Amino acid sequence: MDLKTLKKQESKRKISKGYMWALFCAVFWGIWYLPGTVVWVLNPFDEMSSAIAKTSGDGISLVVTAVLITAFNALAVMLALMLWNGVLGKYGELVRTLKEFHPCSKWFFLASIFGGPMAILGSFIAMGFIGGAFSAVAGLLYPVVGSILAYYWYGEKISKRAAIGIGVIVLGGISIYGGGLFTELSSGNVPWIGYLGGLMAAAGWGIEGAIAGKGLDIAEPDAGLTLRFLGENIIWWIIIIPILAIIGFPMYSFALKAFEPLTLLILVFAGITFGFCYVTWYKSFPLIGVGRGQGIGNLYGFCAVIFIFLFFGDVPDWTILVGGLLCIAGSFIMFTEDTSELETLRGE
Amino acid sequence: MSGKRPIKFRVLEFFLDGKEYWNYEIVSKIQEEYGMRSNFQRDSINFDILELASGGMLKDVEQKVDDEGIYKKGFLLHKYMITDFGRVRGSDACLMGL
Repeated sequence: MDLKTLKKQESKRKISKGYMWALFCAVFWGIWYLPGTVVWVLNPFDEMSSAIAKTSGDGISLVVTAVLITAFNALAVMLALMLWNGVLGKYGELVRTLKEFHPCSKWFFLASIFGGPMAILGSFIAMGFIGGAFSAVAGLLYPVVGSILAYYWYGEKISKRAAIGIGVIVLGGISIYGGGLFTELSSGNVPWIGYLGGLMAAAGWGIEGAIAGKGLDIAEPDAGLTLRFLGENIIWWIIIIPILAIIGFPMYSFALKAFEPLTLLILVFAGITFGFCYVTWYKSFPLIGVGRGQGIGNLYGFCAVIFIFLFFGDVPDWTILVGGLLCIAGSFIMFTEDTSELETLRGE
Repeated sequence: MSGKRPIKFRVLEFFLDGKEYWNYEIVSKIQEEYGMRSNFQRDSINFDILELASGGMLKDVEQKVDDEGIYKKGFLLHKYMITDFGRVRGSDACLMGL
Protein backbone atom coordinates (compact mmCIF):
# COMPACT_ATOMS: atom_id res chain seq x y z
CA MET A 1 0.00 0.00 0.00
CA ASP A 2 1.28 3.47 -0.72
CA LEU A 3 2.07 6.21 1.75
CA LYS A 4 -0.89 8.38 0.87
CA THR A 5 -3.64 5.81 1.43
CA LEU A 6 -1.93 4.63 4.60
CA LYS A 7 -1.81 8.18 5.91
CA LYS A 8 -5.48 8.58 5.17
CA GLN A 9 -6.26 5.29 6.84
CA GLU A 10 -4.26 6.19 9.91
CA SER A 11 -5.87 9.58 10.37
CA LYS A 12 -9.31 8.05 9.86
CA ARG A 13 -8.56 5.50 12.54
CA LYS A 14 -7.28 8.18 14.89
CA ILE A 15 -10.29 10.39 14.35
CA SER A 16 -12.89 7.69 14.82
CA LYS A 17 -11.16 6.44 17.96
CA GLY A 18 -10.86 9.99 19.28
CA TYR A 19 -14.54 10.72 18.74
CA MET A 20 -15.40 7.45 20.41
CA TRP A 21 -13.41 8.37 23.54
CA ALA A 22 -14.91 11.87 23.59
CA LEU A 23 -18.43 10.47 23.31
CA PHE A 24 -17.73 7.99 26.09
CA CYS A 25 -16.62 10.96 28.17
CA ALA A 26 -19.87 12.80 27.52
CA VAL A 27 -21.93 9.72 28.39
CA PHE A 28 -20.00 8.93 31.59
CA TRP A 29 -20.04 12.54 32.71
CA GLY A 30 -23.76 12.78 31.99
CA ILE A 31 -24.56 9.55 33.83
CA TRP A 32 -22.60 10.77 36.88
CA TYR A 33 -25.43 13.21 37.68
CA LEU A 34 -27.73 10.21 38.34
CA PRO A 35 -25.83 8.76 41.32
CA GLY A 36 -24.94 12.33 42.27
CA THR A 37 -28.61 13.24 42.63
CA VAL A 38 -29.75 9.93 44.10
CA VAL A 39 -27.10 9.85 46.82
CA TRP A 40 -28.71 12.86 48.52
CA VAL A 41 -31.81 10.87 49.49
CA LEU A 42 -29.87 7.85 50.71
CA ASN A 43 -28.69 7.28 54.25
CA PRO A 44 -26.54 8.35 55.97
CA PHE A 45 -26.63 11.57 53.93
CA ASP A 46 -30.38 12.07 54.25
CA GLU A 47 -30.30 11.59 58.03
CA MET A 48 -27.20 13.72 58.27
CA SER A 49 -28.68 16.75 56.55
CA SER A 50 -31.84 16.66 58.66
CA ALA A 51 -29.84 16.13 61.86
CA ILE A 52 -27.55 19.07 61.17
CA ALA A 53 -30.45 21.22 59.94
CA LYS A 54 -32.02 21.00 63.39
CA THR A 55 -29.04 22.67 65.03
CA SER A 56 -27.41 24.77 62.29
CA GLY A 57 -30.10 25.53 59.74
CA ASP A 58 -30.85 24.21 56.26
CA GLY A 59 -28.14 26.03 54.33
CA ILE A 60 -25.22 24.94 56.47
CA SER A 61 -26.53 21.42 56.78
CA LEU A 62 -26.73 20.97 53.01
CA VAL A 63 -23.22 22.32 52.48
CA VAL A 64 -21.74 20.13 55.22
CA THR A 65 -23.56 17.10 53.82
CA ALA A 66 -22.27 18.00 50.35
CA VAL A 67 -18.74 17.95 51.77
CA LEU A 68 -19.15 14.38 53.00
CA ILE A 69 -20.75 13.30 49.71
CA THR A 70 -17.93 14.90 47.70
CA ALA A 71 -15.34 13.24 49.91
CA PHE A 72 -16.89 9.83 49.32
CA ASN A 73 -17.12 10.60 45.61
CA ALA A 74 -13.39 11.38 45.56
CA LEU A 75 -12.63 8.16 47.41
CA ALA A 76 -14.70 6.13 44.95
CA VAL A 77 -13.05 7.80 41.95
CA MET A 78 -9.63 7.10 43.46
CA LEU A 79 -10.48 3.40 43.88
CA ALA A 80 -11.76 3.17 40.30
CA LEU A 81 -8.60 4.84 38.97
CA MET A 82 -6.30 2.65 41.06
CA LEU A 83 -8.01 -0.39 39.61
CA TRP A 84 -7.65 1.08 36.11
CA ASN A 85 -3.94 1.75 36.61
CA GLY A 86 -3.51 -1.76 37.95
CA VAL A 87 -5.12 -3.28 34.89
CA LEU A 88 -2.90 -1.16 32.63
CA GLY A 89 0.18 -2.05 34.68
CA LYS A 90 0.96 1.58 35.43
CA TYR A 91 1.77 1.59 39.15
CA GLY A 92 5.44 2.09 38.30
CA GLU A 93 4.65 5.15 36.22
CA LEU A 94 2.34 6.39 38.97
CA VAL A 95 5.18 6.34 41.50
CA ARG A 96 7.64 7.88 39.04
CA THR A 97 5.21 10.72 38.33
CA LEU A 98 4.44 11.29 42.01
CA LYS A 99 8.13 11.70 42.76
CA GLU A 100 8.49 14.52 40.24
CA PHE A 101 6.84 16.99 42.55
CA HIS A 102 8.43 20.18 41.33
CA PRO A 103 8.05 19.93 37.56
CA CYS A 104 4.94 17.83 37.50
CA SER A 105 2.86 16.48 40.35
CA LYS A 106 2.55 19.81 42.15
CA TRP A 107 0.25 20.90 39.32
CA PHE A 108 -2.03 17.96 39.99
CA PHE A 109 -2.28 18.78 43.67
CA LEU A 110 -2.93 22.43 42.88
CA ALA A 111 -5.57 21.42 40.32
CA SER A 112 -7.27 19.20 42.86
CA ILE A 113 -7.90 22.21 45.10
CA PHE A 114 -9.99 23.82 42.39
CA GLY A 115 -11.42 20.59 41.02
CA GLY A 116 -12.52 19.20 44.37
CA PRO A 117 -13.60 21.77 46.98
CA MET A 118 -14.71 24.11 44.23
CA ALA A 119 -16.03 22.32 41.13
CA ILE A 120 -17.23 18.97 42.42
CA LEU A 121 -18.49 20.30 45.75
CA GLY A 122 -20.24 23.08 43.83
CA SER A 123 -21.85 20.52 41.52
CA PHE A 124 -23.14 18.50 44.46
CA ILE A 125 -24.44 21.65 46.15
CA ALA A 126 -26.25 22.62 42.93
CA MET A 127 -27.70 19.09 42.68
CA GLY A 128 -28.85 19.19 46.29
CA PHE A 129 -30.34 22.69 46.25
CA ILE A 130 -31.74 22.97 42.74
CA GLY A 131 -31.42 19.72 40.81
CA GLY A 132 -29.25 17.54 38.60
CA ALA A 133 -30.18 19.16 35.28
CA PHE A 134 -29.38 22.65 36.53
CA SER A 135 -26.10 21.46 38.00
CA ALA A 136 -25.05 19.77 34.77
CA VAL A 137 -25.97 22.65 32.53
CA ALA A 138 -24.45 25.31 34.80
CA GLY A 139 -21.12 23.48 34.62
CA LEU A 140 -21.15 24.00 30.85
CA LEU A 141 -19.95 27.54 31.45
CA TYR A 142 -16.47 26.29 32.37
CA PRO A 143 -14.79 26.93 28.98
CA VAL A 144 -15.44 30.65 29.38
CA VAL A 145 -13.54 30.70 32.66
CA GLY A 146 -10.80 28.48 31.26
CA SER A 147 -10.10 30.57 28.20
CA ILE A 148 -10.23 33.91 30.01
CA LEU A 149 -7.78 32.50 32.51
CA ALA A 150 -5.48 31.24 29.77
CA TYR A 151 -5.63 34.70 28.21
CA TYR A 152 -4.45 36.48 31.33
CA TRP A 153 -2.19 33.74 32.63
CA TYR A 154 -0.18 32.56 29.68
CA GLY A 155 -1.20 35.17 27.18
CA GLU A 156 -3.07 32.72 24.97
CA LYS A 157 -4.84 34.61 22.24
CA ILE A 158 -8.60 34.52 21.99
CA SER A 159 -9.52 34.40 18.33
CA LYS A 160 -12.59 36.10 16.93
CA ARG A 161 -14.26 32.76 16.55
CA ALA A 162 -13.50 31.79 20.15
CA ALA A 163 -14.87 35.15 21.29
CA ILE A 164 -18.13 34.50 19.46
CA GLY A 165 -18.30 31.07 21.08
CA ILE A 166 -17.76 32.61 24.51
CA GLY A 167 -20.52 35.12 23.78
CA VAL A 168 -22.96 32.35 22.86
CA ILE A 169 -22.06 30.37 25.99
CA VAL A 170 -22.57 33.45 28.17
CA LEU A 171 -26.01 33.97 26.61
CA GLY A 172 -26.71 30.35 27.50
CA GLY A 173 -25.57 31.04 31.04
CA ILE A 174 -27.93 33.98 31.33
CA SER A 175 -30.78 31.75 30.21
CA ILE A 176 -29.83 28.96 32.64
CA TYR A 177 -29.56 31.24 35.64
CA GLY A 178 -31.98 33.98 34.63
CA GLY A 179 -34.96 31.75 33.89
CA GLY A 180 -35.20 30.15 37.29
CA LEU A 181 -34.13 33.28 39.13
CA PHE A 182 -36.90 35.31 37.54
CA THR A 183 -39.72 33.14 38.81
CA GLU A 184 -38.02 32.65 42.17
CA LEU A 185 -37.47 36.35 42.71
CA SER A 186 -41.17 36.96 42.27
CA SER A 187 -41.98 34.23 44.78
CA GLY A 188 -39.29 35.58 47.10
CA ASN A 189 -37.61 32.24 47.60
CA VAL A 190 -34.25 32.10 45.85
CA PRO A 191 -31.91 29.10 46.41
CA TRP A 192 -28.82 31.33 46.29
CA ILE A 193 -26.46 28.64 47.58
CA GLY A 194 -27.51 26.38 44.73
CA TYR A 195 -26.73 29.06 42.16
CA LEU A 196 -23.42 29.69 43.88
CA GLY A 197 -22.74 25.95 43.57
CA GLY A 198 -23.35 26.13 39.83
CA LEU A 199 -20.90 29.01 39.52
CA MET A 200 -18.37 27.13 41.64
CA ALA A 201 -18.62 24.19 39.22
CA ALA A 202 -17.99 26.35 36.18
CA ALA A 203 -15.17 28.40 37.71
CA GLY A 204 -13.56 25.39 39.40
CA TRP A 205 -13.45 23.23 36.27
CA GLY A 206 -12.15 26.13 34.20
CA ILE A 207 -9.32 26.78 36.65
CA GLU A 208 -8.63 23.09 37.17
CA GLY A 209 -8.25 22.55 33.44
CA ALA A 210 -5.82 25.43 33.03
CA ILE A 211 -3.65 24.23 35.92
CA ALA A 212 -3.81 20.49 35.37
CA GLY A 213 -2.83 20.97 31.73
CA LYS A 214 0.59 22.14 32.84
CA GLY A 215 1.28 18.82 34.51
CA LEU A 216 -0.63 16.59 32.15
CA ASP A 217 1.23 17.55 29.01
CA ILE A 218 4.39 15.96 30.40
CA ALA A 219 2.78 13.09 32.33
CA GLU A 220 0.71 10.08 31.41
CA PRO A 221 -2.91 11.07 31.97
CA ASP A 222 -3.76 7.77 33.68
CA ALA A 223 -1.13 8.46 36.31
CA GLY A 224 -1.70 12.21 36.42
CA LEU A 225 -5.44 11.95 36.98
CA THR A 226 -4.94 9.47 39.78
CA LEU A 227 -2.60 11.92 41.50
CA ARG A 228 -5.12 14.70 41.03
CA PHE A 229 -7.68 12.58 42.91
CA LEU A 230 -5.08 11.59 45.49
CA GLY A 231 -4.75 15.32 46.15
CA GLU A 232 -8.49 15.72 46.45
CA ASN A 233 -8.74 12.84 48.93
CA ILE A 234 -6.02 14.40 51.06
CA ILE A 235 -7.91 17.70 51.05
CA TRP A 236 -11.19 16.11 52.16
CA TRP A 237 -10.14 13.31 54.47
CA ILE A 238 -7.05 14.83 56.07
CA ILE A 239 -7.90 18.53 56.10
CA ILE A 240 -11.54 19.54 55.71
CA ILE A 241 -13.45 16.68 57.36
CA PRO A 242 -11.26 16.68 60.50
CA ILE A 243 -11.69 20.47 60.71
CA LEU A 244 -15.47 20.18 60.42
CA ALA A 245 -15.41 17.43 63.03
CA ILE A 246 -13.43 19.63 65.41
CA ILE A 247 -15.92 22.45 64.89
CA GLY A 248 -18.52 19.98 66.08
CA PHE A 249 -20.27 18.51 63.06
CA PRO A 250 -20.86 14.75 63.35
CA MET A 251 -18.73 13.90 60.30
CA TYR A 252 -17.21 10.62 61.45
CA SER A 253 -20.33 9.10 62.94
CA PHE A 254 -22.19 9.61 59.66
CA ALA A 255 -19.18 8.67 57.50
CA LEU A 256 -19.01 5.31 59.27
CA LYS A 257 -22.67 4.72 58.48
CA ALA A 258 -21.99 4.97 54.75
CA PHE A 259 -21.20 1.27 54.59
CA GLU A 260 -24.70 0.28 53.59
CA PRO A 261 -25.04 -1.84 50.47
CA LEU A 262 -27.20 0.57 48.46
CA THR A 263 -25.20 3.65 49.42
CA LEU A 264 -21.95 1.90 48.58
CA LEU A 265 -23.34 0.73 45.27
CA ILE A 266 -24.37 4.26 44.30
CA LEU A 267 -20.99 5.64 45.40
CA VAL A 268 -19.14 3.03 43.37
CA PHE A 269 -21.33 3.92 40.41
CA ALA A 270 -20.42 7.60 40.88
CA GLY A 271 -16.73 6.74 41.16
CA ILE A 272 -16.66 4.66 38.02
CA THR A 273 -18.57 7.14 35.88
CA PHE A 274 -16.66 10.17 37.11
CA GLY A 275 -13.26 8.50 37.01
CA PHE A 276 -13.72 7.26 33.49
CA CYS A 277 -15.13 10.52 32.22
CA TYR A 278 -11.80 12.08 33.12
CA VAL A 279 -9.78 9.21 31.61
CA THR A 280 -11.68 9.13 28.33
CA TRP A 281 -11.59 12.92 28.07
CA TYR A 282 -7.80 12.90 28.10
CA LYS A 283 -7.59 9.89 25.78
CA SER A 284 -9.49 11.82 23.13
CA PHE A 285 -7.19 14.84 23.06
CA PRO A 286 -4.16 13.38 21.23
CA LEU A 287 -6.45 11.80 18.66
CA ILE A 288 -8.79 14.63 17.70
CA GLY A 289 -7.23 17.61 19.44
CA VAL A 290 -8.09 19.29 22.69
CA GLY A 291 -10.68 21.50 21.02
CA ARG A 292 -12.85 18.81 19.52
CA GLY A 293 -12.35 16.62 22.57
CA GLN A 294 -13.76 19.33 24.80
CA GLY A 295 -16.49 20.32 22.36
CA ILE A 296 -17.83 16.78 22.21
CA GLY A 297 -17.17 16.16 25.87
CA ASN A 298 -19.50 19.06 26.58
CA LEU A 299 -22.36 17.08 25.14
CA TYR A 300 -22.40 15.71 28.71
CA GLY A 301 -24.88 18.47 29.53
CA PHE A 302 -27.23 17.06 26.95
CA CYS A 303 -26.64 13.47 28.11
CA ALA A 304 -27.29 14.44 31.72
CA VAL A 305 -30.63 16.08 30.87
CA ILE A 306 -31.70 13.00 28.89
CA PHE A 307 -30.62 10.51 31.56
CA ILE A 308 -32.31 12.53 34.29
CA PHE A 309 -35.48 12.58 32.23
CA LEU A 310 -35.31 8.82 31.55
CA PHE A 311 -34.58 7.79 35.13
CA PHE A 312 -36.37 10.39 37.20
CA GLY A 313 -38.93 11.68 34.71
CA ASP A 314 -37.88 15.26 35.43
CA VAL A 315 -38.28 17.70 32.58
CA PRO A 316 -36.12 20.75 33.24
CA ASP A 317 -37.43 24.27 32.68
CA TRP A 318 -37.28 25.40 29.08
CA THR A 319 -34.82 28.13 30.09
CA ILE A 320 -32.36 25.43 31.20
CA LEU A 321 -32.85 23.52 27.95
CA VAL A 322 -32.33 26.63 25.80
CA GLY A 323 -29.31 27.63 27.90
CA GLY A 324 -27.79 24.17 27.60
CA LEU A 325 -28.24 24.15 23.84
CA LEU A 326 -26.60 27.57 23.58
CA CYS A 327 -23.67 26.41 25.72
CA ILE A 328 -23.10 23.31 23.59
CA ALA A 329 -23.41 25.34 20.36
CA GLY A 330 -20.98 27.89 21.78
CA SER A 331 -18.44 25.28 22.77
CA PHE A 332 -18.53 23.86 19.26
CA ILE A 333 -18.01 27.34 17.77
CA MET A 334 -15.21 27.96 20.21
CA PHE A 335 -13.36 24.69 19.97
CA THR A 336 -13.73 23.54 16.39
CA GLU A 337 -11.54 26.38 15.31
CA ASP A 338 -9.86 24.56 12.49
CA THR A 339 -12.26 24.26 9.58
CA SER A 340 -9.62 22.75 7.30
CA GLU A 341 -9.04 19.02 7.18
CA LEU A 342 -9.18 17.06 10.38
CA GLU A 343 -5.65 15.72 9.97
CA THR A 344 -4.05 18.96 10.99
CA LEU A 345 -4.68 19.31 14.65
CA ARG A 346 -3.18 21.74 17.04
CA GLY A 347 0.40 22.95 17.08
CA GLU A 348 0.87 23.15 13.31
CA MET B 1 11.99 1.26 39.42
CA SER B 2 13.94 3.72 41.53
CA GLY B 3 15.70 6.64 39.91
CA LYS B 4 13.76 6.46 36.67
CA ARG B 5 11.84 9.45 35.40
CA PRO B 6 8.29 9.36 34.07
CA ILE B 7 8.22 8.03 30.52
CA LYS B 8 7.31 11.29 28.81
CA PHE B 9 10.21 13.03 30.57
CA ARG B 10 12.56 10.41 29.20
CA VAL B 11 11.11 10.70 25.70
CA LEU B 12 11.61 14.47 25.72
CA GLU B 13 15.11 13.95 27.05
CA PHE B 14 15.98 11.88 23.97
CA PHE B 15 14.78 14.65 21.69
CA LEU B 16 16.54 17.45 23.56
CA ASP B 17 19.68 16.82 21.50
CA GLY B 18 17.77 18.39 18.60
CA LYS B 19 18.01 15.35 16.32
CA GLU B 20 15.11 13.65 14.55
CA TYR B 21 14.12 10.17 15.68
CA TRP B 22 11.72 7.54 14.37
CA ASN B 23 9.00 6.48 16.77
CA TYR B 24 10.23 2.85 16.79
CA GLU B 25 13.72 3.97 17.81
CA ILE B 26 12.40 5.78 20.85
CA VAL B 27 9.85 3.09 21.69
CA SER B 28 12.41 0.29 21.69
CA LYS B 29 14.86 2.32 23.77
CA ILE B 30 12.21 3.02 26.38
CA GLN B 31 11.04 -0.60 26.33
CA GLU B 32 14.56 -1.69 27.08
CA GLU B 33 15.27 0.90 29.77
CA TYR B 34 12.01 0.42 31.63
CA GLY B 35 11.73 -3.32 31.05
CA MET B 36 8.40 -3.01 29.25
CA ARG B 37 8.29 -6.03 27.01
CA SER B 38 4.65 -6.60 26.05
CA ASN B 39 2.96 -5.33 22.90
CA PHE B 40 0.44 -3.49 25.02
CA GLN B 41 3.20 -1.59 26.78
CA ARG B 42 4.88 -0.91 23.46
CA ASP B 43 1.67 0.66 22.13
CA SER B 44 1.24 2.65 25.30
CA ILE B 45 4.72 4.18 24.87
CA ASN B 46 3.84 5.01 21.30
CA PHE B 47 0.66 6.70 22.52
CA ASP B 48 2.78 8.81 24.87
CA ILE B 49 4.76 10.03 21.86
CA LEU B 50 1.48 10.76 20.10
CA GLU B 51 0.31 12.76 23.11
CA LEU B 52 3.52 14.78 23.18
CA ALA B 53 3.05 15.53 19.48
CA SER B 54 -0.57 16.58 19.95
CA GLY B 55 0.47 18.76 22.87
CA GLY B 56 2.73 20.62 20.46
CA MET B 57 5.98 19.43 22.02
CA LEU B 58 7.05 17.16 19.19
CA LYS B 59 6.59 17.69 15.48
CA ASP B 60 5.85 14.90 13.01
CA VAL B 61 8.40 15.54 10.26
CA GLU B 62 8.39 12.42 8.11
CA GLN B 63 6.39 9.25 7.56
CA LYS B 64 7.16 5.97 5.85
CA VAL B 65 5.43 2.65 5.37
CA ASP B 66 6.64 -0.13 7.62
CA ASP B 67 7.27 -2.72 4.89
CA GLU B 68 9.69 -4.82 6.88
CA GLY B 69 7.74 -4.97 10.11
CA ILE B 70 10.22 -2.92 12.15
CA TYR B 71 7.37 -1.80 14.36
CA LYS B 72 4.07 -2.99 12.96
CA LYS B 73 4.03 -4.34 9.45
CA GLY B 74 1.87 -2.43 7.01
CA PHE B 75 1.41 0.55 9.33
CA LEU B 76 2.94 4.00 9.20
CA LEU B 77 6.15 4.95 10.93
CA HIS B 78 6.62 8.52 12.09
CA LYS B 79 9.74 10.60 12.51
CA TYR B 80 9.62 13.38 15.08
CA MET B 81 11.68 16.31 16.22
CA ILE B 82 11.30 18.56 19.24
CA THR B 83 9.57 21.96 18.95
CA ASP B 84 10.55 25.17 20.75
CA PHE B 85 7.69 24.63 23.18
CA GLY B 86 8.83 21.06 23.74
CA ARG B 87 12.34 22.29 24.38
CA VAL B 88 11.10 24.67 27.09
CA ARG B 89 8.85 22.08 28.73
CA GLY B 90 11.47 19.37 28.32
CA SER B 91 14.29 21.34 29.88
CA ASP B 92 12.00 22.47 32.73
CA ALA B 93 11.15 18.88 33.50
CA CYS B 94 14.21 16.91 32.61
CA LEU B 95 17.21 18.99 33.51
CA MET B 96 15.87 19.70 36.95
CA GLY B 97 17.56 17.52 39.51
CA LEU B 98 19.85 15.79 37.08
